[in-house]
Amino acid sequence: MPKIAIIVASEKLDKLFPAITLTTTAAISGWDAELFFTFWGLLALKRGYEPSDVSLDYQKYSGKLSEALASGSMPGWRSVLEQGLATGKVKIYACSTSLGLFGLKTDDLEKYVDSVVGAATFLGKAKNADVTLFIS
Amino acid sequence: MEADIVVDAKFKSCPGPLILLAEAVSKAKPKQVVLLQATDPAAPSDIREWVSSVGHKLLDVKKVDDRYEIYVEVSG
Repeated sequence: MPKIAIIVASEKLDKLFPAITLTTTAAISGWDAELFFTFWGLLALKRGYEPSDVSLDYQKYSGKLSEALASGSMPGWRSVLEQGLATGKVKIYACSTSLGLFGLKTDDLEKYVDSVVGAATFLGKAKNADVTLFIS
Repeated sequence: MEADIVVDAKFKSCPGPLILLAEAVSKAKPKQVVLLQATDPAAPSDIREWVSSVGHKLLDVKKVDDRYEIYVEVSG
């Protein structure tokens, strides 16, 4: 089966949505998905993290996004992620350097984080991916 | 065409229709027909791609008023 590898380097909603949409779509299509949350992306793995905002550049569309989420026309990123995780095809890695940068411990992260790794480990997992993306 | 299961994904945008369909298909029995109703313009091509990756059968795609009716037969 194909594999997608994504580096998620931002915790903002406008970055999480495409990353998670592609992850879950891949997983329910039978693909393997490996995600590496690094730098500000790591903040999205903090337990109970609920992003409320988009990046500064896209603030004027923030209302549109809230409307789409409230009406149910767009599913929330967390529920989409849960659908992907339920397939068992998604692996979530947290960047060790970023953990140190933000003064976080492994215990501060969501339960679905598979492990805390470094760049070399992620590269090893991603080297045979068919699709590789950096989302920031 | 008769469907065993109907999935209403109208007014849901990508990846909503596919997630709802995949969920229904995973609970269905082999050879059952699942009808997905969707208004997302990406639904016909997305579902066509998905069934070919996971091995189900796309039986028909119809445009009815402002929605698509997509019939999928569960593999087995």
